[in-house]
Amino acid sequence: MLQPGKAVKVTIYLSEGATHHGVPVYSSILDFLFYRGVSGATVTRGVAGFGADHHMHSLSSVEISDRLPIKIEFIEAQEKADSLLGKLEELSGTALIEIQETTVVKPAQLSKAAKPVHSTHLKIEGKAQMMRIYLSEEDRWQNKPLYEALVEAMRANDIAGVTVYRGILGYGAHRRMHKDKPLLSSHHGSVMLSAIDTAEKLQAILPIVDQMVQEGLVVFSDVDIIKYAYRPEVSE
Amino acid sequence: MKEQFPARMLRIHFGEDDRWQGKPLYEAIVARCKELDIAEVIVFRGIEGYGSGSRIRRSGHWSFSKDAPIQLSIIDTEERLEALIPFLDETIEEGLVAASPVEVIRYSRTQA
Repeated sequence: MLQPGKAVKVTIYLSEGATHHGVPVYSSILDFLFYRGVSGATVTRGVAGFGADHHMHSLSSVEISDRLPIKIEFIEAQEKADSLLGKLEELSGTALIEIQETTVVKPAQLSKAAKPVHSTHLKIEGKAQMMRIYLSEEDRWQNKPLYEALVEAMRANDIAGVTVYRGILGYGAHRRMHKDKPLLSSHHGSVMLSAIDTAEKLQAILPIVDQMVQEGLVVFSDVDIIKYAYRPEVSE
Repeated sequence: MKEQFPARMLRIHFGEDDRWQGKPLYEAIVARCKELDIAEVIVFRGIEGYGSGSRIRRSGHWSFSKDAPIQLSIIDTEERLEALIPFLDETIEEGLVAASPVEVIRYSRTQA
């Protein structure tokens, strides 16, 4: 949680029309900041501006009105901001990213305190936990399937392994009977997401799960990890 | 609304072709769970596996199955699940039931 005192303000300047895999870049960045438990972020749309290409974009020029400037700002502790920068650079593509030192006089008040989310990709062996989340396939979060958003959130927090299963029959916290429809209409199904990592890391993302899951069941059980092998990502 | 409590999870394994009183066994068990007001039930169809009796079970092409392995996962408090056991004893001829202790968080839209 943000504390009074020294902090940094990160500003990302991009164009409204910029997309990444068909999704507006600003919304993937905002999702990422949310998943990583950033204290707050704001997206502002400018009425006019120009960027690296030196083209003037303004509201009046109708034909290019999807190129209006967008600014994403957030304030965080230096270390936390640093831990986000790598991924932010990757997400923001050609955008300009600026960091300035600032002082937090008074952090925004929370109704309940959220724990900071740590994100080290540990090698884990031995005692760990399995978190299973039971949902309906039609549950949505920010215009995308909830199970998909949860996988993204867990990925953003380096949770070791996540798998989504689709059930053929079931019912849940919401008491509706889900039955797999024949052939193509496979909606309205029960879905289970299973995630494995250390108890601390799973507890750390629980505040985010809390906010995203409106109806559903989250089940924790102790597991022993016998083997965890992964291919490190090839950089260069 | 958010509640947290210790609970138990049953995982039941058998084959898709297993039936009880003419309907698929998994449907019968889900219906019984519903009657007992058990909190969470989900049925999965596996793509391959084997169980007691060591017959290999495999899903066929499309959804026309060839005795695919079925796994039910059922979650509720120990007392609630206890009430289901006699029904399982009666209906499952060949299969496996595993129980494990779990910690549950339930989110629901209904106000307390």
